[in-house]
Amino acid sequence: MKTKTVAVIIITIACFMIGLLFTLHQSLTGSTGDSRNSALSERMDNLVSTITDLEQEIAAYEGLIEQYRNELATLDLVHQTAAIQAYQEELKTAQLRAGLTQVTGQGIEITLDDNYVGMRENPGGDPNHYIIHYDDILSVVTDLKSAGAEAIAINDQRMVGTTELRCVGNVILVNTTRLAPPFVIQAIGNVSILWDTVAYGRFSYLQQNNFPVAMTSGEDLVLPAYKGEMQFIHAQLN
Amino acid sequence: MSASLKNMLAFFLALAVLGVSFSVQFKARQSPERELYQQRQENLIVMVKNLTEKRQRLGLEMSDLSSQLYDRRNALEDETLTIRSLEQQLARLEIANGARPVTGQGLEIQFQATSAVSYADLIILVNELYSAGAEAIAVGNYRLNGNSYIFYSDTPDGRVITVNNNPVALPLQVLAIGDASNLEKGLTLPGGFMDMMMYNRIFPTLRQKESLDLPAVQSPPLYYYLSAYQPPS
Repeated sequence: MKTKTVAVIIITIACFMIGLLFTLHQSLTGSTGDSRNSALSERMDNLVSTITDLEQEIAAYEGLIEQYRNELATLDLVHQTAAIQAYQEELKTAQLRAGLTQVTGQGIEITLDDNYVGMRENPGGDPNHYIIHYDDILSVVTDLKSAGAEAIAINDQRMVGTTELRCVGNVILVNTTRLAPPFVIQAIGNVSILWDTVAYGRFSYLQQNNFPVAMTSGEDLVLPAYKGEMQFIHAQLN
Repeated sequence: MSASLKNMLAFFLALAVLGVSFSVQFKARQSPERELYQQRQENLIVMVKNLTEKRQRLGLEMSDLSSQLYDRRNALEDETLTIRSLEQQLARLEIANGARPVTGQGLEIQFQATSAVSYADLIILVNELYSAGAEAIAVGNYRLNGNSYIFYSDTPDGRVITVNNNPVALPLQVLAIGDASNLEKGLTLPGGFMDMMMYNRIFPTLRQKESLDLPAVQSPPLYYYLSAYQPPS
């Protein structure tokens, strides 16, 4: 075959592949030329952009809150009278209990991921059967709490008293922060009790249904502090 | 230029273009925005509402912390002022930890003695109440905090629901302090908790209350394995 013909064939294949990938890319981002022009698509764009802007703003606020809390903790180190020191000790304990302190200890780490293989092998199947739902996470968290977990974090979101786990559509939110799979749940507590309790709960169900799940233990897990707000507008001390 | 060189150049050009296309493709798959584009508009609107509320509350928190910092810096030499600032911080944490009784408007959820409510239903209820902005919750007169859990225990008389390992009996009352109207809306969303209850033939009653009194937790949590992290210096 002439070299010119070979070159033409190669470039033709490359162009075909580019076309294919471009089409796939457009369908993945959900923005075909036609729909982008429509009012519906414009509204979608606005909503997505509002959400991402708010998320960035919230991340910045949380960074500042963490900084302020650290500065307050530094002030606590300044030499004080015995009366103030007693208050500071009490405050430190309360902060530890409220999840405002970064903590360490022995525990387990559970990873839950969507069943991509099952989804690929059953293209006509209901995708909901192959993804991790918020109630799977809630179930594992309940198992951990019943096993005496002293602190829990999900994808670096520390769980505190008012933490909620929710889903909007198929997006999972913890502390109103959007989380994406794989979901890594860390818990500090007695390793063997945590392990056994989780192993026989929802974790086992997911394992049996071929979800890529894993559990490991560690001697010195480090869980982040809660970076969100602790505002009580309606609840007042008696 | 020789023919083989031209051939090679064409080949490399094709590969380079393919590489760029693949990386664009990979980026599209990884994009956090892609997940949002797959959602329905009404779900995105709910997310915007929730995030806006969260931003507002974070703003309040920032303002509080900033005033505390100001007060504490100015009160370094003044014991009374420092103690007052520490007391304010402590009071808020005592609400968070359930260390003291609290009062406020909220929602009362009552399960009748004949309800077939399960521990799993109560876990979902509590989660929904926190999602709707509950600031403090008590189940069967047991105040919840970060370490609380709702589970069950099998006894000779059958399965009983437990809260923090204490058995609770029907009729059962769940009290939640927060914006009463928002709390009720959170439970009565189409397809939400109340619909789920109705589907299971459980009919709890909801009552908005001007004032609810919640007890403190019975005992503070004890930590055997956890300690504050000290970063290596």
